[in-house]
Parts: sequence; C-alpha cells; structure tokens
Amino acid sequence: MRKKLMATLMGAVMAVTMLGAVASAEEVTANGDYTFEIIVKSYQSSYWQAAVKGIDSEKEALGVTANSTGPNAESDIADQVQMLRDAIAKKPDGIGLAACDQEAVLDPLQEAMDAGIPVVLFDSGVPDAPEGSVYSTIATDNYGAGETAAENLYAGLKDKIAAAEGVVRIGEVNQEATSESITSRGLGFIDKFTELATADGKSVAVIGNEYYVSNCKDAGDEAAADIIIEVAVPAQTTVELCATEASNILNKEDLIGIFGSNQVAAEGILTANGNLGVLGCDPETTVLAAGFDAGSTIKGAIADGTLYGAVTQSPLAMGITTVDVLTKIANGEEVEDVPTEGYWYNAENMESDEIAPNLYD
Amino acid sequence: MAESATAAAKKKSSLDKLGGQKFIVLLVIIGLAVFFSVMSPNFRKYTTLVSILDYSYYIVLMSIGVTFPLITGGVDLSIGTGLICYSLVGGYLITFFHFPVWAGMLVSVLFGTAIGCLNGCLVALMDIPPFLVTLCTCMITRGLGATIVGGFGITWPTAAQPGGWFRNIFKISLDARTKIPIGILWVLILVAVMSFVLNHTKVGRYTISIGSNKEAARLSGVNVKAYHVLAYVISGTFAGLAAVAYSAVFSTVQPGTGAGFELEAIGGAIIGGVSASGGAGSVTGSLLGVFVICLLKTGLPFIGLQANWQQIITGLVLIGAVLIDVIKRRREEK
Amino acid sequence: MGEVILTMKGIDKTFPGVHALDHVDLEVRRGEVHALMGENGAGKSTLMKVLTGIYTKDAGTITYEGREVEFHSAREAQDAGVVIVHQELNMLGHLTVAQNIFIGREFKKGIRIDDKKMNEEAKKLFDRLHIDIDPMETMSNLTVGKQQMCEIAKAISHEAKVIIFDEPSAALTEAEIEELFKIIRDLRKQQLGIVYISHRMDEIKVITDRVTVMRDGTYVGTLITNECTKNDIINMMVGRVIYEEPKTHSMVPKDAPVVLKVEGLNAGKMVQNVSFELRRGEILGFSGLMGAGRTETARAIFGADPKQSGTIYVNGEKVTISNPEDAVKHGIGYLSEDRKRYGIVVQKTVAENTTLATLKEYLNGIFINKRRENQVTQKYIDSLATKTPGTDQLVVNLSGGNQQKVVIAKWLTRNSDILIFDEPTRGIDVGAKNEIYKLMNKLASEGKSIIMISSEMTEILRMSDRIIVMCEGRITGELDIAEATQENIMNLATREIS
Repeated sequence: MRKKLMATLMGAVMAVTMLGAVASAEEVTANGDYTFEIIVKSYQSSYWQAAVKGIDSEKEALGVTANSTGPNAESDIADQVQMLRDAIAKKPDGIGLAACDQEAVLDPLQEAMDAGIPVVLFDSGVPDAPEGSVYSTIATDNYGAGETAAENLYAGLKDKIAAAEGVVRIGEVNQEATSESITSRGLGFIDKFTELATADGKSVAVIGNEYYVSNCKDAGDEAAADIIIEVAVPAQTTVELCATEASNILNKEDLIGIFGSNQVAAEGILTANGNLGVLGCDPETTVLAAGFDAGSTIKGAIADGTLYGAVTQSPLAMGITTVDVLTKIANGEEVEDVPTEGYWYNAENMESDEIAPNLYD
Repeated sequence: MAESATAAAKKKSSLDKLGGQKFIVLLVIIGLAVFFSVMSPNFRKYTTLVSILDYSYYIVLMSIGVTFPLITGGVDLSIGTGLICYSLVGGYLITFFHFPVWAGMLVSVLFGTAIGCLNGCLVALMDIPPFLVTLCTCMITRGLGATIVGGFGITWPTAAQPGGWFRNIFKISLDARTKIPIGILWVLILVAVMSFVLNHTKVGRYTISIGSNKEAARLSGVNVKAYHVLAYVISGTFAGLAAVAYSAVFSTVQPGTGAGFELEAIGGAIIGGVSASGGAGSVTGSLLGVFVICLLKTGLPFIGLQANWQQIITGLVLIGAVLIDVIKRRREEK
Repeated sequence: MGEVILTMKGIDKTFPGVHALDHVDLEVRRGEVHALMGENGAGKSTLMKVLTGIYTKDAGTITYEGREVEFHSAREAQDAGVVIVHQELNMLGHLTVAQNIFIGREFKKGIRIDDKKMNEEAKKLFDRLHIDIDPMETMSNLTVGKQQMCEIAKAISHEAKVIIFDEPSAALTEAEIEELFKIIRDLRKQQLGIVYISHRMDEIKVITDRVTVMRDGTYVGTLITNECTKNDIINMMVGRVIYEEPKTHSMVPKDAPVVLKVEGLNAGKMVQNVSFELRRGEILGFSGLMGAGRTETARAIFGADPKQSGTIYVNGEKVTISNPEDAVKHGIGYLSEDRKRYGIVVQKTVAENTTLATLKEYLNGIFINKRRENQVTQKYIDSLATKTPGTDQLVVNLSGGNQQKVVIAKWLTRNSDILIFDEPTRGIDVGAKNEIYKLMNKLASEGKSIIMISSEMTEILRMSDRIIVMCEGRITGELDIAEATQENIMNLATREIS
C-alpha cells in the first residue's frame, strides 16, 4: 500500500511543479497586438501536436496571434525551409522555430535577421546560427531531466537503501557516450543520486563505462561503497545491444534500481526484462526501473506497473514558453535561453491533462 | 591414373569428414559458451540463453538469405537497412492504417522480396556489380523507410495490446519468468529447408554453379540469369522474415538504423565457411557462424568488458575466420 | 567413314565491320574425325558458334541428319545431338564430377536432385569410355587432363551424334593426349561425327580423316589427311609461312658471358635444389612433363613465389629477389603461361598494356602523354607485327598470338635482358606461332637471353640452344641441342628419382 501512497504523493508534487510553470507564465503580458509565426518539426506527430496545444492555449491567454505550422515529417527539411521563408515574408513580430536540420536553416535565419524579425528556437538549438539572429533557445535541460529521474527513483528506493545490510546496486543504461543530450541525462542522474544518497549517510561508487565514471562529480571507491552505480554503454547503438547490457545488469542479485536514459535504452531494459521478469513497482520484491521519453511500449510498461516511471520532455511547456518569450521580445524585454524541465510521470499521473499531451505514442 | 585418384582422396583429411570449418566453428561455440559460463555465473542462466536466442533470430534469418548471394560470388549489403525499412512499413500499416498484424507481417516479407528482386535484376540482368547495386539499395531502403513513416519510430503492437499475439511466434511466456524460445524451432526448420534447397535442389545447385563458373553454367543450358536473380530474391525475402523477427523481439523500430546488421549476418556466414569468393558455403555453417557472433555480443558484456573492447574482439574473430578461408584456399591451390 | 550426317553450305555471317564468314562449307560424316583448321581469326569458332546456335547465320543452310535445321541456342543443339567440348574448360570447380556432367539437366526425385542416380549414370559413362574417374570427386581436385575427359563424357552423355572438339589438347600432357586419342577413336568406331579443331599439325596427321581449312573467314578447301603433307595444309592455311628452321647446333658463342646463374634454389616441393646458368644471347629450353616444376622454378626466380633457399647471380653479381619488383629491377621479365590471369589487362587498350609497366616515362606532370604513348606502342606493333586495328584497341579483342605480342612488347619497354617465356605459344595458331619463334630468335641475336618453358617437344627442339629437363621438381639432365632428341629428353623427363 505504501507504494500507492508514494505514487500519489509524487503525482501531487508533479502537479504543483506544473502549476508553478504555468504561474510563472502568467507574469507575461502582451503590450500590443502581436503576430507570431511558429514552425514545428512535424505537424502530424502527437509530440508536436502537444507543442501546438501549448502554443494555442498561451496565445489565447495573452491575446496575441500565433500561427503554427510544420512539415509533414521531420525529414521534410526542404518543406520546412520553405515554410520558414514564407513566415519571414509575412513580416511577423517574431518567429518560433523547431529546426528539422541545423544546416538548412542557416540562410533563412540570416534573412530573418536582415528583415529585423527576431527568432526563438525551441526543442533543438542551431549552434552555427548567425550571430544575433536567435534571441533565445528553449530546450530541455537534459542534466536536470536526469536529476529528476534520480530524485524520483531515489524517493522510491530510499527506505530500501536505508534498510540495506550489504551493498546495493543501481544500474544505468545509456545508448551512447558521445551524444551530448544523452550523456547529460546520464551524468545528471548519477550526480543527483550520489548527492541524495550521500546526504542520507551512504557512500556511493560509480563503475562501468569510462566516460561516465571519469565525468561524474564523484566516482567514489567501489570497495568501500554502500551503493554502486553501474553504467553500461553498448558497443553499438542498437537496441539488442542495449538489451544485452541491460540483461547483464538485471541479472545481478544486488540490483535495486535501474535507469534508461533515452527511449532506446529504456526499451532495451524492458526487452531484457521480458526474459527476466525482475522489474516492478514494489522496492521490496522487485527492481524499480526509470525510463525516459514515451512511446507506446514505455507507456504500456508504466501503465501495467513494469516500469516505475519515466521522465518526459514537455513539448506542451515548450509551446507555452515559446509564445511567452516571443511576447517578451515584442515588448522589448531582454530574454535569455530558457531550459525547460523534464517531467516525471508514472501510472498515477500519466492520464492527467498536464502530462498526457506530452506522451507521444 | 589410379594413383592420382587415391592422392586426391587422401587430401580429404579427417577434419573434412567431420564437416571441416563447420566443425571448428562448433568447437569455437562450445568453447565460448564454456568460457563465458565459467567467467560469469549470470551467463549460465536459462534466461541468458533465451536472450541470446531472442537477439539472434533476425541475424540468423538475414544470414540464411545472404548465404545465397554470397555463394554466387556476390553480396547483399541492403539487408540491414532493408530489415528496418520493411519492419517500419509493416508496423506503419498496422499502427496507422489498422491493418491486421498478419497483413503487416506479410507486407514486410513481400517488401523484402521486392527489394531482393530489384537487387537481383540489377545484378543479373543489367550486370552491375552486386557490391554497387546493394550499396545503393542499402541507402535507398534507409531513406525510404524513414520517409514512408514520416521519420518516427514505429512500435508494433506490444504483447499486451490487441495483435500482440505475433510476439508469441518467437517466444511463449508461461509466466513472467518462464519463457520458451520457440523461435529457435522455426529458425531451425528454415535452416533445414534452405539447407535442403541449397544442397539438393536445382536452385541451390545453380546458385553454387554461378559462384563457381557462371559462364560454364550458362553454356550448359542453365538459365543463369533467372537463378542469379533468385539468389537475391531469397536474400531479400529472408531480410523480410528477419524484419518480422526483429519487430517481434524488440519494441520500437527507429528509422535510420539497421546499417551494420548486414555485416553481422555476412560475417556470420563467412565464419561459417561461405567462401568470400563464392562457390562454396552452407546454410548450417552460416547458422553456426552467426551464433559465434551472438555469443560474443552477449558474453563480452557479461564478463565486464567495455564497449570498445567488445568491438575489437569481435573484429579479431572475424579476421580469424576470413584467414581460415584464405589459408584453406591457398592450401587447396598447392 | 559412313554417310554424311552434317552439312553446312554457304554459311555467311557479318558482324559490324567484319565479314566473319564468307560462304563457308563444311561436311561431316558418321565415323570420321574431321579436322577444322585455320589461323586464329580464320572463323573456325564463329562457324561452330553458328552451328550450335550461339550466333544466327545471315545466309546458308545447315543440314543435319537429312533435315534442314537451325538451332537457336546451345541447349537446342545439345538436345539434337550436336555438342561442343570447349577450348576453355568449362568446369564448375566446386561441384563433383557427376554434378558437372549433368548440370542443367539433373535427374530429380520430386524437387530433390537425385545425386545417387547421377553418380551411377556418370560411372556408366566413364565405363563406356574406359576412363577411371570417381564421379563423386570434386572437380577442382582433378588434373586438367581428367577434367577434359569429364567434358568429353558430358558431351557424350547428351546422346551426341556430332561432337566438336575445340583445341582439346592445348592443356594436356603427352600421356593425356594419348588417352584422349584413344577415346576419340572409340567414338569414331561408334559412328559419331567428330569435328576436331587444333593447331597441332602432328595431331592432325595422327587422328583425323579429313581436313577442312579456312582462311580469313573463307573456305579454302577440304583434303583427305592421308593423301596430303603437313606443308600442303600449312600452305592452305597461311599461304606464306614456312617454319623457322630447327636449330641443329647452339648459336651461342662459347665465350658468351653468363648473365643469370641460379644455385641451389629450393621453393616448396616443386623446386628442389635447382642450379643452372644462362648465357647472353642464349635460348635455354626447359622441358619436362606437366607438373615437373618448371613454372614454379621460373616463378621462384622471378620472386612471384617465396623461396626457401638458393642464390641468384645476375651478370655475376649476387642479387636478392624477394618480389617481382626486384626481378624487374634486375632486368628479368616473365611472360606467364596464363596470359589472361597474369600477363595482360584484357579490358585495357593495346597502348595501355604496352606502357603499363613504364608509365612513369609517359607522364607530363600528372598527365599521360598519349601521343608519345601511342608512338612507342606503334613502334612495337610494327616491330612485332602485332595485328591490331590500332593502339586504342581493347586487348580482349585480339587473338591469342597478338595478345602474346602485347605482353612481349610490355617487357621490351622495360629493357628486360633476361626474358622467361612460359609456354609462349600455348593457344596460338601456326602463323602466329612462327612469328613468335622469329621474334625470340631475333631477340636472342640482339643479345637478350631467354628461358623458354615449353611442353611441346617440337618447340623445344626447334628453338633451344641448350635444354634443361626437369622431373618432379629436380633438374634431371642438361642437353646441348646437338645431342638432344625426343627420346633422350623423354627419358630424362620421366626418370625415376631414387
């Protein structure tokens, strides 16, 4: 029963966080009748539909006009570039863009700057964008999202860890050690988990993949540790190698929790568990697993209690924030890059209005 | 005259009688299994065996198919990205157009057959080198799959969803922890069938003939072109079957992936004794060869080796296998 | 000789730019061996391809067993009983003997190929031909001679009534040729009509009943073999060539310096303790049976194969040759017995092949000086009398003899002073052969030294100043041309080594 209670509590915490985000948005007011053009990566997918939903609700709240559009597929780069040019031609007060391709949008960005139209990027940045063309980038704070996973997983395991007599093990499966977004999540999880455990008087050691061991804040000493965080990275980024690495960790007797830092890694853990059947939501008898992103497999696993929970990025919040930032720019206010949080969801809150739109199939 | 006949007979060593390279590969498999079991207690578990089998089906199926183009002296590089493409398309129809699962599976397989047919026609009828043709179709399938589904990962029905029955084709769950890897049975049956096809039917005989001396086969009245096309059709169809196996074992199929799968299938076939220059090889050998690769892939993480070392060791084993082939051929020439 | 089984009359065939066959006639009777002779390019192969349906004729009639026929494919001709045993062995090395014989028309039980029945049928065939070959043996394990027997067995298994042998003896040893002739006589006795294409005048006299001669795509005439002399045939074929006179004594001065000295060379089983000397201006014949180790010796000297031990002196200086590059540096050239595999790049032009080894000399910066390349190539085309439409002709389109000349030209551009000719006239017709002989004599008289490996006894006796005989990897004797005869060479070539 305690599990249920905990989950409910977590849901409540989440709701508060969400409200916080919305509350901060209300500080913005539009000082004019602005028009914005916003282009997402793909107009058809549920992920981007969530972003559009955020955009629509916020434009109504602020009383501005925001026209959202996007190509049929993320791979339709040329279409998106054309849409961007069309948007520039309309001379709006600002443009929001989730770029499909980092290279293809460079010229249009220059054109936007020449036309004096401010651009706000969301979801993905464009590192080589012409100086001064992009006013703000709104993207998920991956390190923070990893921390969110650690906080929630730690909360679920806290009592188990406190009561543990021997060494316990936490696993982490990362699809790779080169992509910045994935390594940030992985390191965020390790550092936060270590911090929380240390605060409770436990010592932690990080072992496994060299990159993560040498880049986390404190790798500790394996021989003296109460908690071992074992980080696995497959030789290739394929799902079956993620699954193999996950099986290897799931097979270990002292394992109590595991984190997969993107959809492929989380699904790898679930695939491995298909044969092992060790995952569940009761820390006493099963291993708690945290995932990342959504997709029908992960959603299904959370709904049936195999997966303890997962972190999702929030296209909804990104949509809201994009309109806010564009409005601020139009008001003449100074803006900065805005990291958006990752949101923890589990069986309790995944159907809620705040979370559900963020979960794509 | 009689002397040379006995001399030729003598050349067949006792090793050849046991199946030659296949026997060595079998010993390697046993050796690896014993080694990993000793090094890692978790490797000894039944569930690990089930996992190894789970992750091997699609490679084995690709490898059965690609054995045929390899024996003709060609290659099929399109099977890896093709697999993902076929799976994406099948899954897309099921998810977005509500095709029944069996229809999605059929589409995956037939799509594979079609691409195989395209490969075969370009190679056999237009006389373009197989390496080139299949490299192109490799790129095409990679882009095509992603384009058709709109760039997103596709999830075939999960076990719990309606239509999830097809996952039981490869694995029957008695309860959460007890699984029967029934897929190995189907794979073995397919290996037996294709082994029969290769060794005892015209299709196989002419496949070997094309690899051995295409012109001679043609002059003997063999419809060389048709059988040459057929080799690629077989390869494509098995890539389609592999797509079904892949979809059944894993959850989300990501567009843009799949490059590299073909190397494991081709590598397995070569470890199993398919001659890199064509004319010789066996389906059972390819099966065994793939298991060497699968054992390494699963075993090396279990004994705690990190990613880079896994690749180095797998590469070394492949070189070893190719060397055996080269040394063997050189000895035959002497 | 029985009744006429096959008549080809007024056969005409034109390819773009070439009148390949100009009203050619051929008549074959049951129970005869009919030689079809002519230089390469005379149209023999084209004629046979028209007969077996590979080419379609433009005009003329083919009458077979009393009916006018036109085959549309090799398969159709086969089914009717007209089969060809190809010059290039068309075997499938990875399959068994029986599988080779029945390829394309396997016995089947349901969808399964009935290998057992195929083995039995192959055995029956071999018994009929008195050949001792195991049908279950893998083809690549057989000697070239036995592979040829299998080809013949395959031809006969089609219930053939007319068999065409396209240069069957080219790759055979003397003993194997004897074996082949026995089979051919056997077939003649069984009343088959046999067309025998060959360049070897000796064989024609021994085995054939009639000779039809072709020249430049035209029919020259048909003779009864017994009633004509070699020279009659040769004159019909070329109208001009008279063989180089055989040497009766060495043309090399006694005091000619030694340019190549090999001492105690060992390289595997096929080269054991080989020592010899080669003088300036000398043609040194290497004789022996197939597999005596002559080619292996040459390859070891040339650095193409590794050697275990042995010393090589070039012009008195000890040299190290560990790869062909070293050999070339020391002025040694090697003309392989297998031109297509080692000698030339068939899909390249005459010019490209000629200058392949010395391309550096034709470079202006990074560009190839095509004009100079063509000039040099033309020079060699003229001096070697290579028959080619031009320097830009693809080598694959040349006849065997002319391909060989391109290879020679290639080595001459490198200024190689020591040339190893390995079977220089294999697969080359009489006219071209004589030109190669002339060329070799000319090169020798200009001071080049030549090692000539040859399996043709007449060639050895005609060309060599001195003869070294090998047997099973060892040198078993050395003869001056003055004392050499077929008999004493054969003696040495087959001598038992205790």
